[in-house]
Amino acid sequence: MNLKDISTSVPKKDHKGKVSGQLAYISDLKVENMVFGVLYRSPIAYGKIKSIQVPDLPLGYEVVGAEDIPGPNYVKIIKEDQPIFANEWVNYIGEPILMLVGKDLDILYGLLEKVKIEWEEYQAIFTLEEAIKQKAAPGVTMANYEFGESLEIISAIEQGAHQIIEEEYDTGYQEHVYLEPQGMLAIYKDDEIVVQGSMQCLYYIKNALITALDCGDDDVRVVQSPTGGGFGGKEEFPSMMACHVAVAAKAVKKSVMLVFDRSEDMVVTTKRHPAKLKYRTALDKEGNILSMCVEVYLDGGANVGLSSVVLQRALLNSAGVYKIPHFHAKGYVLKTHTVPNGAFRGFGAPQSFAGIESHIGHLSKRANIDPLEYKRKYLVKQGDPTITKGNFRDPILMEEMIEDLLNTTDYKKKKVEFQTFNHHNQRYKKGIGTSLFLHGCGFTGSGERDHIKATVKLFKSKDDLVSLKISNSDMGQGIYTTLSKIVAKELDLPYEKVSYPYPDTKEVPDSGPTVASRTTMIVGKLLERAAKKLKAQWQNGVEQEVTENYVHREMIPWNELTFTGDAYPAYSWGVNFVEVEVDTLTGNVKLENVYANYEVGKVIDDRVMKGQIDGGLAQGLAYGYLEKMTSKEGRIQQKSITDYGPPTSMDVVSIQSKVFDNPYADGPYGAKGAGELTLIGGAPAVQAAIEDALQTPFQQIPITPEVIIESLWLREGEEG
Amino acid sequence: MITFTLNGRKVETDAPPSARLLDVIRDEYLLIGTKEGCGEGECGACSIFVNNLLQNSCLIPIGSIEGAEIVTIEGIMESDQFKILDESYSEAGGVQCGYCIPGMVMASAALLAQNPHPSEAEIREGISGNLCRCTGYNMIVDAINLAAKKGDGLWQKK
Amino acid sequence: MAEKIIAYRFDQVDQTLSQLNKEDCTIIAGGTDVMVLYKSRRGVPPKITKPIVFIDHLNELKQVYKKGKDLHIGACCTYSDLLNDPLIPTPLKNAIKTIAAPAIRNRGTLGGNICNASPAGDTLPLLYVYNAKLVLRSVSGVRIVAISDFIQGVRRVDRKSNEILAEIILPSELEEGAYAVFEKVGNRNADAIAKVGFAGYIRTNGEVIKDIRFAFGAVGPTMVRSVDIEKKLIGKTIPLAGADIAQVLSAFDKIIKPIDDQRSTARYRKTVALNLLRYFLSRKQYQHN
Repeated sequence: MNLKDISTSVPKKDHKGKVSGQLAYISDLKVENMVFGVLYRSPIAYGKIKSIQVPDLPLGYEVVGAEDIPGPNYVKIIKEDQPIFANEWVNYIGEPILMLVGKDLDILYGLLEKVKIEWEEYQAIFTLEEAIKQKAAPGVTMANYEFGESLEIISAIEQGAHQIIEEEYDTGYQEHVYLEPQGMLAIYKDDEIVVQGSMQCLYYIKNALITALDCGDDDVRVVQSPTGGGFGGKEEFPSMMACHVAVAAKAVKKSVMLVFDRSEDMVVTTKRHPAKLKYRTALDKEGNILSMCVEVYLDGGANVGLSSVVLQRALLNSAGVYKIPHFHAKGYVLKTHTVPNGAFRGFGAPQSFAGIESHIGHLSKRANIDPLEYKRKYLVKQGDPTITKGNFRDPILMEEMIEDLLNTTDYKKKKVEFQTFNHHNQRYKKGIGTSLFLHGCGFTGSGERDHIKATVKLFKSKDDLVSLKISNSDMGQGIYTTLSKIVAKELDLPYEKVSYPYPDTKEVPDSGPTVASRTTMIVGKLLERAAKKLKAQWQNGVEQEVTENYVHREMIPWNELTFTGDAYPAYSWGVNFVEVEVDTLTGNVKLENVYANYEVGKVIDDRVMKGQIDGGLAQGLAYGYLEKMTSKEGRIQQKSITDYGPPTSMDVVSIQSKVFDNPYADGPYGAKGAGELTLIGGAPAVQAAIEDALQTPFQQIPITPEVIIESLWLREGEEG
Repeated sequence: MITFTLNGRKVETDAPPSARLLDVIRDEYLLIGTKEGCGEGECGACSIFVNNLLQNSCLIPIGSIEGAEIVTIEGIMESDQFKILDESYSEAGGVQCGYCIPGMVMASAALLAQNPHPSEAEIREGISGNLCRCTGYNMIVDAINLAAKKGDGLWQKK
Repeated sequence: MAEKIIAYRFDQVDQTLSQLNKEDCTIIAGGTDVMVLYKSRRGVPPKITKPIVFIDHLNELKQVYKKGKDLHIGACCTYSDLLNDPLIPTPLKNAIKTIAAPAIRNRGTLGGNICNASPAGDTLPLLYVYNAKLVLRSVSGVRIVAISDFIQGVRRVDRKSNEILAEIILPSELEEGAYAVFEKVGNRNADAIAKVGFAGYIRTNGEVIKDIRFAFGAVGPTMVRSVDIEKKLIGKTIPLAGADIAQVLSAFDKIIKPIDDQRSTARYRKTVALNLLRYFLSRKQYQHN
């Protein structure tokens, strides 16, 4: 491929099938001898099952439960705390207890209603607040870490400080609302079970299946179907569904399809962890930061899942993009008897950035300095240590990116204009806010070296067509295009001669999961190297295959126990400026202008990158003011898309974005991660803009109209 | 027995009158371009035309469409208008996961047929019933804008 | 297997009425509410137990015309039909534009919005302040009721099982000097269910208020309207005095009793309802529309 610049956009590989709707997602498939599965779910939050009564089943209908699992009854993720079918204890409303399978969904739904279970109910923990109070009780703290400056030193600093500011900040659930609900199919064959569906991580599923089915490597095979959006929601959750359909298929010797209804998907699948963040900051007379202590509490839900890893990322980002003197942080994942929370684009970082940007913004007010100016005083620079005694060793372009947006937005002038506008307009108030953020690319610490150990292959056929053999999923983010492009350019082949079939574990090695902003940077780099290798040994008309394995660039070694070292090999960076107009009668927030600058090393495809920017930012902004999900006595309240409220086309505005080049040596063509970064700055910028408009601080996201009206009401009360 | 026209072909179904048109299209006629995203008229993934009007097939009981002309994405796939939309969505980068796209294309075609030169606000309104979680809509808005220009003169002839 | 579902789709209103006189049926016009109300899970038809009568194709129920001062709107006009009809007053069109999105507006009907009697029905606050009257037809003839009498509670209406809602009459919207406004407060700019709805109507002669009406949606089981409170403002002059506004607000404060639910809080609903009322009452002038 002869592109002058790798960033020049090419047509997407999967465009045709998607635009015509003829690409078959999992729910579009029908296979021979297929039955449907439906899950009976716990109606109670916490209790012990005393007995299960299943109604008489018509011919062809069967029940599948814990006793049908050949292996141990848990979904292999990290800890063994998540049953495939709960058969003793249930820990949340919606936990799967058994599955009914048969041909006709209508009959299955009818039968589900007749399942009777006797319980012994126990007092559940429903909220993060309750869990924090009980965090010393057995089983409530599911993970915790602590690191940073010694508390003795901090205590001494605090004693000499002019002022100590304490703030508490809350973040809510966020639901992925991938357009395609979760779906999984187990195809029954005599010698193997093929599990196919909507997923991000083929080998997570395969490993979970090998454990659950207690079988050999060749007895199960995992195939990705076109995946209608993931955003982390199809990272670990599909492993459970895969176990359900595979166990069922084995038990009934038929192929079993499980597809969720939207409301089922909204109520029982993982969400972004609600969090509480506590800040305690010592200031001098001028408002300069002397020390800072942060506590992060994540609501893990009923089982730990990936929550410990999410907490790690939350903590690693707890100081934001700032060099804070004498920084100390600790964090907890706490158990509640609610739907388990899990991976979601940003993976703990969005909570932390919302919190720290809010806190720093509020500190700037005390120092009487413009928030952005105050933030810049503390901005990390190349060579600075990270909060875990790692190092920011690569160039940082944040100052250039900020300057650029100050000019583009005419920030200072706009501030004055908005003040004038607000002075004259009783109902509507305008504000501008900013956020500064980064995202650590790839797995935390030595995860790539110790846990993932990625392998990629390139296969060349006799007719000199090259195909990628990797286990990564395109879920819409565009890696079919970008990774194919890297290989084509490296081999100097026409883009059309490089293909990337939907991955199948029978064909592809484990190149790791499709998560953590690692695919382009880590897998892309491996593919680049593989392509170089293939090029070197290229022989026309001959079948060839090359393999590449992950090589770790040793930096300051990561130690998970002490929480020290380089947490990430590289960081991507971003700056957002957001302008809003708030209706003070209704509390409704209207986005007016959104500006975004990013640095992701090198863009592999401009159009794909813009898609990540616009889509990620839309989710991030909405996380800050629009999307609201709550749980009441263990029950998710918003069961429909409309009640939850992700943005429509009329809620989003055109986004002015720019991407700065800063090639990274260990990324393909210099590329780093980009997918998660784009979400992170949205919420804190929108909060800052709302605060600017109303001249009122907030201590939570989402800042819904309800929160705004409440705060205006309180302020009115104070002002008499 | 209910008779209607599906993508220009007269068809009959003995599905119960309350059956959702969406299920009939997908299960009986095996047309997979019409997707189910919510089943409550909140996402637009199942958008189709009923007598040339954009509607959500998940909310239509089959008994109500006796004699109606139903067109799905498969029914417009060969049209010149579709070709323009296909190209425009590709050029503008409007497609990511693809699940909303057939519905989005139907909404785009409906909008342009009614209003061949829509403003940005009109485009946003035209697709406001079609949820997309990947793109943040802007590149879809660009695609429709592009299609309006590329297909100038083509949209209104029906 | 599910029992056989019976459905009727007659060519004439009269046949429809005579069937309704024989048995109790579920009436489906656009179906955008009914199909959700009875929705089962993925892949199966909704659970409608009564026989179904489809009426959305009946042209007799899709006419919009003027008769004297009154505007008659066929109950089966879809929202899109109304948006395209020059006779429909602008405030009602504005209210309709806030309903869901184009695909739903191409199917949902005004009559359906009324008979669904959702506390959050988007057209209802305006129809209340327009003093809309409803024409109910049955084999025994025609019955006309005020919308405020017809809607009796959450999804509860005064429709006898043999009746259909045939027309909506807007009696007064053409009166000189009238100004009407509708504000919908939802969680987002499309596809939203109202958290608060407000309709205000005022008719003045010079600066003197001849008629004034307000209705609130989504803050109680039915629209909240009080003719008694409205009466107290008639004869006053614009701009209204602060004390008069305060009196009206405090009167509504007593009768607006919203609830907490998955979409909002009682406190928010009440505060915003009163905010919108205060804003309406505090205007210096009202342009006719």
